[in-house]
Amino acid sequence: MNEPVINVTGLTRRFGARAALDSVSVSLPRGAVYGLVGANGAGKTTLIRHILGLLRAESGSVRVFGLDPVADPVAVLSRIGYLSEENDLPGWMRVGELLRYSRAFYSGWDDAYAEELRQAFALDPAAKIKTLSKGQKARAGLLIALAYRPELLVLDEPSSGLDPIVRRDILGAVIRTIADEGRTVLFSSHLLEEVEQVADHVTMINQGTIVLSAPLDVIKASHHGASLNEIFVAHVGRGATPAEAV
Amino acid sequence: MRSAAAAFAWEFRQRHRWGLAGLVVYLFVLAAIKMLFLARGHAISFDNNLSYAFVVVVPVTATFLYFLAVFSFGLAGDLAARQSMYPARLFTLPVTTAGLAGWPMLYGTVAMALLWAAMRLFALWPPEFDVPMIWPALLAASMLAWLQALTWMPYPLPGLRVIVTVLWLTAIDAVVFIAVEFKVREPVMLALLAPHVPLAYLAARFAVGRARRGHVPDWRRMFRPLSTFATVLANRRESFPSAARAQVWFEWRAHGRSLPLLVAILLPFELGQLFIHGDTPKLVFYTLAVVLLTPGFMAGFVSATASTSNPPFLATRPLSSASLIAAKLTATIWSTAAAWLLVLAAVPLGLELSGTWPVVIEPARRLHAVIGTPRAVVIGLLALSGLILWTWKRLVQGLYIGLTGRASLIKGNVFLTLSLLCVLGPALHWMIGNSLVRVAVVDVMGWLPAVLVPIKMAAAAWVVTRLYRSGLLSDRVLVTGAACWCAAVLALYGVLVWIVSTPLFPRSFLALVAILAIPLARLSAAPLALAWNRHR
Repeated sequence: MNEPVINVTGLTRRFGARAALDSVSVSLPRGAVYGLVGANGAGKTTLIRHILGLLRAESGSVRVFGLDPVADPVAVLSRIGYLSEENDLPGWMRVGELLRYSRAFYSGWDDAYAEELRQAFALDPAAKIKTLSKGQKARAGLLIALAYRPELLVLDEPSSGLDPIVRRDILGAVIRTIADEGRTVLFSSHLLEEVEQVADHVTMINQGTIVLSAPLDVIKASHHGASLNEIFVAHVGRGATPAEAV
Repeated sequence: MRSAAAAFAWEFRQRHRWGLAGLVVYLFVLAAIKMLFLARGHAISFDNNLSYAFVVVVPVTATFLYFLAVFSFGLAGDLAARQSMYPARLFTLPVTTAGLAGWPMLYGTVAMALLWAAMRLFALWPPEFDVPMIWPALLAASMLAWLQALTWMPYPLPGLRVIVTVLWLTAIDAVVFIAVEFKVREPVMLALLAPHVPLAYLAARFAVGRARRGHVPDWRRMFRPLSTFATVLANRRESFPSAARAQVWFEWRAHGRSLPLLVAILLPFELGQLFIHGDTPKLVFYTLAVVLLTPGFMAGFVSATASTSNPPFLATRPLSSASLIAAKLTATIWSTAAAWLLVLAAVPLGLELSGTWPVVIEPARRLHAVIGTPRAVVIGLLALSGLILWTWKRLVQGLYIGLTGRASLIKGNVFLTLSLLCVLGPALHWMIGNSLVRVAVVDVMGWLPAVLVPIKMAAAAWVVTRLYRSGLLSDRVLVTGAACWCAAVLALYGVLVWIVSTPLFPRSFLALVAILAIPLARLSAAPLALAWNRHR
């Protein structure tokens, strides 16, 4: 039986009077790439924070690998690789120290793979995190999210503000992860072209509600081969990035 | 916003409006008290310095430090970094470098001068005390101006900012102290202090100009062999045996080294007093008291930063909230131990080199002669253990507030603590000055622990129930923790009974004191606070 990796049911979250998520239900079966798309402030990060257990469900339920991430954070987080939009790696650490520190938490940490990624990302082990550029920090975050081959890789706006080369690395990481059978990727972005390149399944979110959730090829077929940008505008009434606002 | 000046003023006012509102309320209360005194024709006298210190000195010092942090942008910068602490976001504004340096300095120095003017006007000053008119305002403004200039300056080495700033501000302070000691007249003081603000402004303008151009000198090449050695050592380190050990290392590196470092910086200055006042026994003991209180006092500052950080990076580590707290507590134990090792090594060295050993040994001999060797040793060990425990308590007792991550709770706690300090002094003064109240207080003193202990135990029971229900701590950990706490209380009670063998203090009183002395409720609440913050 293919149990969903993530199962969110009727999730509602309010920040003051504003509903950040309104009765959101999502189910992600194992082994595919899910693109979570929406404009800034649509509720993508709030949904991801619930999946990681950083937010407690006010109403509804969140299950990851069949577990409640708030009640059992260790069991859930040890199987998730997470790259945050904020990229808040501790600036005082050296890259080598970050690897040594991170490997202690994951039994599946693969030293050879970590070293391969470090070399591919051209990260100096003696360099302090705070001296790295934004793109290098994203690569360092990606390295520690991938090096233990997590069952679920969660990337929250990973390419936001990064140059095309780092974006290519991130997309490459997604493709590598897919290559490992049975692994799942949840990839949030407002850059729809990127999502279109790698996602099998797309969920569009707007003002805290899911407006469309289906396999990408089904979406494309039902919209006569239109681009994801055009489909998004058709459903939401505006583009996912400010420049694309209608 | 019509001008850069107005924009700077708006930012300071908007970001710190609650602190400024609190200050206005405090000044209003001071003015009201003074008017009440004067209207009733009461003579103002402070036969007890303690009460004056609590009413005036503590809030004014807190405000002075607050202003230093606010106007030097120190609340949001890395003090040890080579880069300027001036916010880089302001460099791209269409404002001249003179304006970038000048407006914050002008607002800061004016705020300092106004603070002194308000204190001079509203505080209750003893009539026999000749309150200076202007020079304290100029001193406060100069200290701020130099702090701004030195924190905004880019430095060639990491950490150099701290050393240069501490040395320079201490030098200014020392000159003023010497001038006060020699009872220098106000015009001379003004002449001494007047050049500081303009000079500091020139330095600040130079510093901001360099920082704006991205000019950060780099002398690290001179220390490359050392750096290579450190990197080799770091690379040679083996893997952590467990996630818990890795987290302890993280806490130690992120926060644990701060306390020993601060103590190491202060000790030479404090012990240096032994060389100056070594022939006055009273001052030798004052110096030693200050040295022994330093770790605990500095722990209060360190805990403010160590307890408030819980970024998503840490929150997403696959560790339970209890394990994250355990790592924090272990790192605080290391930190306390390192700070006290420094003190215990430096004090004998300072006494030996300054030739002040005999001054200390003589009273110890007298105590030994009166109470005997075992009691003298136990009293000494108990006092030392008490100071070490107090240091550790100061490091961890704020965790239950700081780890909630709720700014309103954290700021409210600081405000309540300061308010309590302000009330405590006059209350003590009133109690000591009134013989009837004094007798009544002594009578009820025995009952005070009897009131506090049920409050502590009720709070602990509530916390433990919540811990049990939330499943944050296992039953085994809860039972082991309770057993350790009981054992510590019993051990302290036994020692107290042995030492304080007098009918003045009944054994029940000593038992209550032992219960109050060993931390329980606030410490146990730390995992709850972290979980509340981690899973919002």
